[in-house]
Amino acid sequence: MGVAATIASEKSLTAALAGETPVTKVAFDISPEGRYIEGQVVVTPTRLLITSDDCVIREITLAACRDFKTTTMVGSGCLETTVDGVPTRLVRFNMRLLPYYSNLVKYLNKVTAGETAPYFEEIKEKTCPRCGLVYPDESQICPKCINKAQLVKRLLSLAKPHAWMILGTMVLFWISTGARLISPQLTRLLIDEGIGNGNTDKVVFYVLLMSLVLLFNHGLAVARGLLTTVLGSRLGQDLRNMVYGKLQALSLNYISKHKTGDLMNRVTNDTSNIQSFVQNQAATFINDSLVFIGIVAILMANHWKLALLVLAPAPLVMFIMARMRATFRTMYHRQWHFFDRVNSLLQDILSGMRVVKTFGQEKREVARFTAYSKDFADITARNETLFNTFFPFIGFLMGAGNFLVLYFGGRLVLGYEMSKGELIQFTQYAGMIWGPLQFFTFIPRWFTQTMTSAERVFTVIDEEPDVKDLPNARRHEIKGAVKFENVTFGYRSYEPVLHNINVDVQPGEMIGLVGHSGAGKSTFINLVCRFYDPDEGRVLVDGVDLRTVLQSDIRSQIGVVLQEPFLFSGTIYENIVYSKPDATPEEVIRAAKIANAHDFIMKFRDGYDTKVGERGQRLSGGERQRISIARAILHNPRILILDEATASVDTDTEQQIQEALGRLVKNRTTFAIAHRLSTLRNATRLLVLDKGCIAEEGTHEELYAKGGIYRRLVDAQMELFKMRETEIAGQRNGAHNGKPA
Amino acid sequence: MSTNSLDGLAEYAQIRYLSPAECRFDLTAGGFLRLELGAESYDPVYVFRSFPLSLGDRYLSVRDDKNNEIGIIRDLAEFNLDQANLVRGELERRYFTPIIKKVHKMKEEFGYIYWEVETDRGARRFTTKGSHDCILPVGENRLMIIDVDGNRFEVTNYRELDTKSARLIETLM
Repeated sequence: MGVAATIASEKSLTAALAGETPVTKVAFDISPEGRYIEGQVVVTPTRLLITSDDCVIREITLAACRDFKTTTMVGSGCLETTVDGVPTRLVRFNMRLLPYYSNLVKYLNKVTAGETAPYFEEIKEKTCPRCGLVYPDESQICPKCINKAQLVKRLLSLAKPHAWMILGTMVLFWISTGARLISPQLTRLLIDEGIGNGNTDKVVFYVLLMSLVLLFNHGLAVARGLLTTVLGSRLGQDLRNMVYGKLQALSLNYISKHKTGDLMNRVTNDTSNIQSFVQNQAATFINDSLVFIGIVAILMANHWKLALLVLAPAPLVMFIMARMRATFRTMYHRQWHFFDRVNSLLQDILSGMRVVKTFGQEKREVARFTAYSKDFADITARNETLFNTFFPFIGFLMGAGNFLVLYFGGRLVLGYEMSKGELIQFTQYAGMIWGPLQFFTFIPRWFTQTMTSAERVFTVIDEEPDVKDLPNARRHEIKGAVKFENVTFGYRSYEPVLHNINVDVQPGEMIGLVGHSGAGKSTFINLVCRFYDPDEGRVLVDGVDLRTVLQSDIRSQIGVVLQEPFLFSGTIYENIVYSKPDATPEEVIRAAKIANAHDFIMKFRDGYDTKVGERGQRLSGGERQRISIARAILHNPRILILDEATASVDTDTEQQIQEALGRLVKNRTTFAIAHRLSTLRNATRLLVLDKGCIAEEGTHEELYAKGGIYRRLVDAQMELFKMRETEIAGQRNGAHNGKPA
Repeated sequence: MSTNSLDGLAEYAQIRYLSPAECRFDLTAGGFLRLELGAESYDPVYVFRSFPLSLGDRYLSVRDDKNNEIGIIRDLAEFNLDQANLVRGELERRYFTPIIKKVHKMKEEFGYIYWEVETDRGARRFTTKGSHDCILPVGENRLMIIDVDGNRFEVTNYRELDTKSARLIETLM
């Protein structure tokens, strides 16, 4: 390929630079033949040098180059330019380097065009510089470097408001530990002083005392359980509120990048994992640790040799456990993933049921679900089998020491070195050790599960919204002028969706956005709502940069009517009043009347109190549409966005909706997207977007006369419309759904 | 669906299939592919796979720089070796997909998997998401692995890898 062919003489970079200072260097890693290499593109004020393994393999004078660009291929990218009129592929690189090259291209194009070079845009690193770990999502927080101790600390800090309750729980723990440790002492006294001496009074006394201690202990357990449950559920609630609040605060970008199911899991499952850890496992852990330490201390004090026998298997057990920890972790991670997959599939199929039924694919879907759920069942069974084989085995190892104690202890008793009561006390204590020890071996699993959940929850909480309010952001009462000033934007900065858009909209204008799908219409709207910030240029409202206005303030003054209006489950009244919670019933009725919704609402038995949603009244698309228009009218926004507002209804309803919309747009700056161009006839101006640029601008008549893209779109639709008319005339049996293309 | 019901639509589905006899590919000085097709000449042309995952070198769409389809190559195997290799070179550039020959190390941490592998293009380290979405089964034992940046790697048949590599990959399936 071209690059390799031009190797004249290989020389070192220093020699090739000949005293020039490089402006920037960008690495590349794929050779023209497609092998991994280590190379660099070195840019000096006048030249571009390409090095491979520290040898300069190509030198190009910048003055000879035009049109630098990056091409995104599948799995790699390519830097291209035109050298002396010849289109040339310069270097190939892996996808991670793409943003660096986009930056470089911007720079090189400005320099070769003789303009002042822009600053290099800072590129958000994807990996932690300390350990190379990939940051989860966009948050630049490394979960490895914030380690588990910190996660625990963070969980504890969440518990701070409940410090008194925690203290109370701890005190209960200490008391109950003491009570548990006393019982074997009582057993010894019972045997040695009571039974051994034939003293009936003492037997009765100790038995009574023992039962009292037991009763007391159970009482404590109840109180403890109550406290930890309250504590756990408060903590869980705090966490859920934090995550949910954060999700609401996060930009649309984040929400759309994650599956709904995944986000739901984080709000519900992960938080309840943490909750259950706090109220069950953590509590038991503290309790058992105290008991364990107490017993070991007592055993050691009583007879340290026997104590060592009891504890002998413990290191081995712990060692095996530690080794198995990673295995169990991946096992359960996988199980969780499979569970998620079954869930997602279910959600998919249930929401796409119409399609499944339409194509008669029920059997196939059943088979698919069966296969998925079998996978899940298999993996669960496999995990549980391993889990349940492993632990009894470990349990046997732990118990092995007990036999040794009985043997050696028995000999000590026979040799009068130990009383019978002491031996029984000893074995009782030794028996009490297994509980905590066995429980400790479960802890890694629970702990890991909880930490994974905690991490998942915290990553949401730590997520920084892409679109942030500036510290000095202020309120702004919108009058309705909207201006795009040299706006360039892409969802990924190296793939612009809108290029250098300049539009000036006066208050009260209705702007129709026209163009093929993917032309950037919705993106344009997203920028008006400031769901995203432009990469270059500014969006101004009444001459004020949107970035300097509080987001909540902007959105509260922008109304949106979507093609498929979203109604929450609740009553019609609640749905309309959603946009203005303090509205009076008169205002609501007025809004519904203007939206041509009042009359059909009154036909329902329950009027405005009619329930909509899953178990409520089924509303037609047109009815939902008009309710959402009523919602927008009540909202009384300064800027209105109509996104394909009438695409999905029949002609009669459309007229009603058109009428309602006509009333709604009056005196408001309106941006309307419609595939059906006839719905835009009221627009003051139309913007025709093509490949992210404004291709045409003007009124319907002007653009139609111009005979450009718009004319072609209109003609194509007229054609389609005529075809549909003939079709309808031809086949009156009507197998179409009334939705025009 | 039977083809009969589509007969009436044939005029809308006119696709030009390119025969080896009428095509002449060569490489420009800048490293682009050029096509002479009878009397017409296209410079540059780009080649896209219609079925990149399942049918590889069959049904290749040859397009000009305005992304208009010039025609479709039914099967690259019909072309002579030199011509086929030129097209393969272009495909290699468009679909850069190193084939994993050996997995040295695979470590899962905080939801990401860190790989150290040997590929047919050289040694490589990369990172994928820990969720199993990063591994796309393509056919029986063939796998497509996509890393966090969008780079692609292929395992042609994981059962034919050495035991250690196969075992490591199996833990993800």
